[in-house]
Amino acid sequence: MTQTTDTPMVELRGVKKRFGDLEVLKGIDLRVDRGRIISIIGPSGSGKSTLLRSINNLEVIDEGQILLDGVQVNRPDLKGLAFERHINHIRQNMGMVFQHFNLFPHMSTLDNVTLAPRKLKGMETKDARALGMELLERVGLADKAEAYPSSLSGGQKQRVAIARALAMRPKVMLFDEATSALDPELVEEVNQVMKGLAEEHMTMLIVTHEMAFARDVSDWAMFMDGGVVVEADTPERLFSNPEQERTRHFLRKHLGSQSSTSA
Amino acid sequence: MIDITPLLVKAAWVTVDISARALFFGFFIAAALVVMRTARLPPPRWLARAYISVVRGTPYFVQLLLVFYGGPALGLRLDPFTCGVVVGAFNIGAYMSEAMRGAIESVESGQNEASRSLGFGRLATLRYIILPQAAGLMIRSIGVLAIILVKNSSLVSIISVVELTYQAQRLIGSTYKPLEVFTLSALMYIVIIYAVMGMVEFLYRRATRYTFR
Amino acid sequence: MEFDFTPVIDYFPTLLKGVGVTLLIGLAVALLSILGGQLVAVISLYTRKAVNWPLRFFIWLFMTTPLLLQLYFLYFGLGELILIPAIVVGILGLGFHYMAYNADIFMATIRSVSHGQYEASRSLGFGHLRTLRYVILPQAFYRALPQLSNNMIIMVKDISVLSAIGIGELVYVSQYAISITFRPFEFYITIAVIYYLINLMMEAGQSWIERRAAYRR
Repeated sequence: MTQTTDTPMVELRGVKKRFGDLEVLKGIDLRVDRGRIISIIGPSGSGKSTLLRSINNLEVIDEGQILLDGVQVNRPDLKGLAFERHINHIRQNMGMVFQHFNLFPHMSTLDNVTLAPRKLKGMETKDARALGMELLERVGLADKAEAYPSSLSGGQKQRVAIARALAMRPKVMLFDEATSALDPELVEEVNQVMKGLAEEHMTMLIVTHEMAFARDVSDWAMFMDGGVVVEADTPERLFSNPEQERTRHFLRKHLGSQSSTSA
Repeated sequence: MIDITPLLVKAAWVTVDISARALFFGFFIAAALVVMRTARLPPPRWLARAYISVVRGTPYFVQLLLVFYGGPALGLRLDPFTCGVVVGAFNIGAYMSEAMRGAIESVESGQNEASRSLGFGRLATLRYIILPQAAGLMIRSIGVLAIILVKNSSLVSIISVVELTYQAQRLIGSTYKPLEVFTLSALMYIVIIYAVMGMVEFLYRRATRYTFR
Repeated sequence: MEFDFTPVIDYFPTLLKGVGVTLLIGLAVALLSILGGQLVAVISLYTRKAVNWPLRFFIWLFMTTPLLLQLYFLYFGLGELILIPAIVVGILGLGFHYMAYNADIFMATIRSVSHGQYEASRSLGFGHLRTLRYVILPQAFYRALPQLSNNMIIMVKDISVLSAIGIGELVYVSQYAISITFRPFEFYITIAVIYYLINLMMEAGQSWIERRAAYRR
C-alpha cells in the first residue's frame, strides 16, 4: 500500500492473541490509511474476526500494539478504571457492526440510534432525533423509526445497526461478517449501504464471506489463515491472480460456489 | 364462642407486614451482593459467595432461632417482629441475589458487546442496556421468592410473633374447630399469594412492554 | 461475651441421634414424595376430571399454604380424631407437602415427552399402561431429576420445622439440651454447621446423580 498522507487511521504492530494454548493471531502487522477500505477474507477459525474484535478491544491482545489515528488502543500499562475511561473514549471513535446485529430489543429503532449520542455526548434529545432521523434516512429506514427491532427483517436490523454505529461519527467502521447471518435476498440492501459509505470515503475494515462484494468495494484485500496474513494485495490481483497456493485453494472453493448468487 | 375471622384478618395483616418489610430490605441486600460478586478485587467476591452459600445451605428456621435465641450472646437483642424482618431479609437477599444474577446473565452477551463497542462503560451498559432487558425475568423470579417469603413468615410464629399461623394454631387449640380455622387461614394465605402473583404479573407486563409492541 | 462449646461436646451423642432421626425422616419423605408424586402426576394427567380434579386441588392447596400451617392442622386437627404418633404426622405432612411439588414437576416432564414416543410404543403393541411404565415415565423421571433433587435439598432443611410439633430431630433435641445448658448460641451455630455439611453432601450427590443421568435424557 503506497500512502502519502500523515498518520494511518488504524495501525497494528506485531499483534498476538491466544485463547488458552491456541494462538489465534500470530503477529499481525497492518496499516490502514484514512479513507481506505480493507476487506479481510479467510476460512472460519483463521483469526479474521478475532483481529477485528481486537481493534475494538472486545478481545484483549496479548502482545503488540493497536493504534487508532495515532492513539494506542490497547494499553497494558493502564489498569482498572483508568483503562475503562480510556477504552470507552477510544470506542466512541470506532463503529462496530456485528454478525448478529445486537440491536437493543427494548428500544425503538430511533432510540437505538440516538442512545449513544444522547448519553455519551450529552446531545439534546431534539438534536439527537434529527441526527437519528438523518441516519435512518440514509440507510433507507426513516419510516421504521418508531418500530421495535423484533418487527424488522434481518437486513433492516443490520441497516439500523449501521446507523447506530454511525451516530457517534466514528473515524473508522468495523464490519464483522455483517451479512453472514442474513438470508441471501437481504444481503444486497446491506451491501448497498456499505457501498454508500465507501463512496463517502469512510475508513472501513470489512471481515466478510462475500468475495464478490469484497472485490467490488475494497481497495486492499487480505487473506488470513491460521492466525497469519497469508497474502495482501489489491483486490484485482488477490482475487484473480493470487500468489500463494493457500489463497488459490481458498478462492477456488469460495468463488466457485458464489459466482452464481452474487455478481 | 369467639368470632375467629377478625382475629385471623388482623394476624394476616402482620404476615403481610413482616413479609413486605423483609422483601424491601432483602432487595437492597441482594443488590449489594450482586455488586460484590462483580467486584474487581477478589475478597468482596469471596465474601458474597460464602454468604450466599451458607444462607442457602442452612434452614431458614435454624437461622431464625440462631439470631433470636443466640443473638443475645453477641449482644444482639431483637424483638420478635424485628427479628423476623431482619432474618427474613438477610435470608431472601441471598436467594434474590442469585435470581438477579441469573436474570442479568440471561441477557445475551452480544448486547453487552454492542453497548461497549459504542463506548458505554460497564455501569452505563448495565443501566441502559442490560437491566431493562433483565427486568422481566428478575421481576418474575423475585415474585417466586416473595411467595416463599410469605410462606416462610409462618415460622416466626415459633418466636411468638402473632401472625397468621400463630393465630391459627392458637385458635385450633381454643376452639376445637381445626377445619374452620385451617380453611379460613389457608384462604388468607391464598389471597395474599394471589395478590403477590397479580402484582408480579402487572409489573412484568410493564417491564416487558417492548416485547408486545 | 464468652462462648463455651463444652456443653455442645457433652451433648454431641444426643445431637448425633437427632441427625440420625433427621436423615431417616428425610429418606422416608423422599421416597414418599417422589413415588407418591409420580403416582399423583399420572392420575392427574390420565384420569377423568371427577378423579383428577380433587387431586389437583390438593396439589394446589399444599403449594399455596405454609408447611407449618399444614403440620399444625394435621397434628392438632387430625390428632384430635385419631391417635397418630407425631413422627407419622411429620413424615406424612412433609411427605404430602413435597409430593405436591414433585407431582407438579412430574406433570410438566411427562407432558414434555413427545407424543411420538407414545405412538412408537403403542405401534409396537404396548398398551397404554405399559407405555407409561416402560417408555414415558422413565424419560419423564430423568428429565425431572434436577428439579427433584433440588426439592429434596430444600426438603431436608424443612425437617427442622418438625421440631414445632415435638419430633425428636436435630433442632428438637438441641432445644432440649439448650433448656438445660442455657447455651442457645453455641447449639444453634452447631446445628447450622451440621446442616451446612449435610447440604454440601447433598449438593455433591446431586451433581453426581445428574452426571450419571445426563446421557439418559
